[in-house]
Amino acid sequence: MLIYILKRLLLAVPLIFGVLTLTFFIIRLAPGDPAAFFIQPGISPNVAEQIRAQYGLNDPVPVQYVKWLGNILQGDFGRSFSRAQQPVFDVIAEALPITITIAGLTLVANFTFGILIGIISAVRQNSLLDRFLTVTALFFYSMPEFWFALMMIILFALKFPLFPASGLNEIGAEGFGPMGFVLDRLWHLVLPVTVLSINGAAGIARYVRGSMLEVIRQDYIRTARAKGLPEKVVIFKHALRNALLPVITLMGSSLPFIFSGALFIEVIFAFPGMGRVTVEAIFARDYPLIIANTFISGSLIVLGNLFADVLYAVADPRIKL
Amino acid sequence: MIETFANNFSATRRLAVNLMFVVFLLTLSSCNRHNGSEGEAGKGKRGGAMDSTLVIAMLGDADYLNPVLGSTVTSGNIIGLIYPSLLQSEFDTTTGLLNYMALEKKLREATPGQGSKNPKGALAKSWYMSKDQKSITYILRKDAFWNDGKPVVSGDFKFSYQLYGNPVIASARQQYLAELIGADKGKVDFNKAIETPDDTTLVFRFYKPVPEHLALYHTSLTPLPAHQWKKVKPEEFRHSPLNLEPLGAGPYKLKNWQQQQEIVLASSRTSNLPKPGTIPLITFRVVPDYTVRLAQLQTGAVDVVENIKPEDFTALLKANNQIEVKTVGLRVYDYVGWSNIDQNEYHKTGKIRPHPLFGSARVRLALTQAIDREAIIDGYLKQYGVICNTDISPSLKWAYNDRIMPHAFDPSKASALLRAEGWLPGPDGILQKQGRKFSFVLYTNAGNARRNYASVIIQQNLRSIGIDCKLDVQESNVFFESLQERKLDAWMAGWSIGLEIDPLDVWGSDLNKSRFNFTGYQNPRINELCELAKLKMDPTGASAYWLEYQEIIHQDQPITFLYWIKETQGFSKRIEGEELNISGAFYNIDDWRLRPSANVAL
Repeated sequence: MLIYILKRLLLAVPLIFGVLTLTFFIIRLAPGDPAAFFIQPGISPNVAEQIRAQYGLNDPVPVQYVKWLGNILQGDFGRSFSRAQQPVFDVIAEALPITITIAGLTLVANFTFGILIGIISAVRQNSLLDRFLTVTALFFYSMPEFWFALMMIILFALKFPLFPASGLNEIGAEGFGPMGFVLDRLWHLVLPVTVLSINGAAGIARYVRGSMLEVIRQDYIRTARAKGLPEKVVIFKHALRNALLPVITLMGSSLPFIFSGALFIEVIFAFPGMGRVTVEAIFARDYPLIIANTFISGSLIVLGNLFADVLYAVADPRIKL
Repeated sequence: MIETFANNFSATRRLAVNLMFVVFLLTLSSCNRHNGSEGEAGKGKRGGAMDSTLVIAMLGDADYLNPVLGSTVTSGNIIGLIYPSLLQSEFDTTTGLLNYMALEKKLREATPGQGSKNPKGALAKSWYMSKDQKSITYILRKDAFWNDGKPVVSGDFKFSYQLYGNPVIASARQQYLAELIGADKGKVDFNKAIETPDDTTLVFRFYKPVPEHLALYHTSLTPLPAHQWKKVKPEEFRHSPLNLEPLGAGPYKLKNWQQQQEIVLASSRTSNLPKPGTIPLITFRVVPDYTVRLAQLQTGAVDVVENIKPEDFTALLKANNQIEVKTVGLRVYDYVGWSNIDQNEYHKTGKIRPHPLFGSARVRLALTQAIDREAIIDGYLKQYGVICNTDISPSLKWAYNDRIMPHAFDPSKASALLRAEGWLPGPDGILQKQGRKFSFVLYTNAGNARRNYASVIIQQNLRSIGIDCKLDVQESNVFFESLQERKLDAWMAGWSIGLEIDPLDVWGSDLNKSRFNFTGYQNPRINELCELAKLKMDPTGASAYWLEYQEIIHQDQPITFLYWIKETQGFSKRIEGEELNISGAFYNIDDWRLRPSANVAL
């Protein structure tokens, strides 16, 4: 399996590199100018030119590519155009912890509730409870996140002011002490994490229900029951493990989500996470930051897939890598 | 089943692992707050912190808190509170003129009832212009100090102007240096252009006579402390760590900057420029979503939200009677641009030919008459919109031509004009001339509700006189590039005007030089008038030129001016003493006070 992993990792290098090269050319071919902000009445026409010279954008694109290549090979992804010329990885390092917090909490809630609801629906198939859970899950699954988030704000921040409408902390939260600070942060995370996880859990529940239903009809489940095993053991030990196989794929593909952020939620709840970094970089034509983000999300997608494949082999002895 | 699950041992274990994970994640995200020291505001309870803190919502973070580099409005507002300025400026709403004040001198006497700005904030004691109007000398006060205790001296200005003029630093304000000696030859000669005979004397020299008000305006750039910055190389200037710890002398200083989240300013106790800010802490919070900014204002989590849409006023004021909406203007207008020239021909051969649809002034006039501007104002802006005739704002009273009557909405007159120009209805009802249909695409930028609303009415209005107008929305960056390259036939956009009138960039006949003349409009008299006005040493002496200018623009209709917009800002009533002014919503913020929360009923 080690050789398999190494092989996949080696294959990933040219793949990611190809993605970066494509991104490099596509963003430069797209209309728009990183110095556009400096083209306004009252600003000397020289400024945009000087800014472009600073960014090295006056060279022909192939020359820019060669220079970029040299820097990338030394691990230098450059400085952001739009964020006070911070090194791009500093920008990302600031946004990443916030994104990981939200996404991590969300994933835990997603899978816990998703799997739980899925099992209940499958075991009690066609019961009133199952119907209720299915309809509710579909209802939330099909609801646009940003709309749901705004509704939650209107309901729980305006009509019944239980939770704050946005931000990571209260004004003056530094004075609450470490415990108070963490509690305040948690209080601010309730609405966004609820929005994200209700949406996600609904999807996962549908998956788990489907695969669970398939598994419970298998012969070995009937055998287990015939042996006289308690229902609890049948469901959790025999059925669940097998039913979770497709969920593992989902887990692998959730990895990029942890790092790439949830744009709508970040905008609505004013969290400076990765989603906003990426989108603002695109709007500002911040080339180095766009490439660095592509690098991170590209690598994570590759790693996430590899992770899922390896987990498969771990969970299912029939699969050999 | 649920009970069974809860009793399950492995489930409990998983729950414990999850909880640990949660705690880990929270620690992770809390680690990110750097610089979060226990401050004056930290009183341990919400009311206490809020009583001493004014919270202002902002759309996006400041780019730089460095006056040489900061180029967004937010940066400008904050820099104005941290750094000292040579002069204080004030907009006189009675005359529409900008006034400049030093400690012991004013450019002009303020109209009675106007003028609340405290000249004590100025670094200059006085100034005088040379007789030939080619130099200005400032006498600086001796009792001004940077926050680290070092005095503010004339050398700080000379040093800072060299930074503003350095092409490697690429400051957006280098235009201010355009009249200094050497600028006419491409490079300012700082040795001759700025002299500092001693610490309190500062002399600027120009290569040509400059009117006093412009000399004051162009020498008003904010200084940096030379002793802090002199070791920073120009190529490192933009990413120097010093940018994160600005050293100023104004009423506030930076307490904490969590990028993309909030900027906290604390009243600077030692400041005498003009005095420590009255409110102990001012927090600028980034809240990117408009609906959430409104919700925050409504719940009292923030105190000031700028640019509230008129459609939201009623609900907002009904939901919370401790909010008031204040207006300021008029500086911003929307317009429909018509390409006056045939851009394809211009791009191919460089020749100027009238645009096949919009080349004639009479056709453009007909289009203006066909658009029901009142309906757009009534339907969207209501009392916060005013019909716009030209790009000189009614707020600039000394120059505004109030004899010009707006072109009234009159579709039948518009049709008659078009008929006279040879545009006759075709079989499908669309006007035609020499086989060409009157059909075009009206572009606008994405995400502007007001322009979307207006564009739909314009489309209907034009359709009713037989003009086929399709609507298209472009991403802002792409839209702006198309405008600059003069690619569009018709578009809808807006301008925010400066307080000094200088329209040559927008209407100048030299299309290579006038980068913002997107329409390709050319009228030599407009160039003449702008040049003549610049030569007047007193701005009011130029008012006759500006009156004529407005008549010509009104007649030629290079674009259809739609409406001036009153900017509307939402304020919590716990703020007292705020004065809104055309020069900015935070014009006298260092004098604002907060009423204690006991009196605020939410």
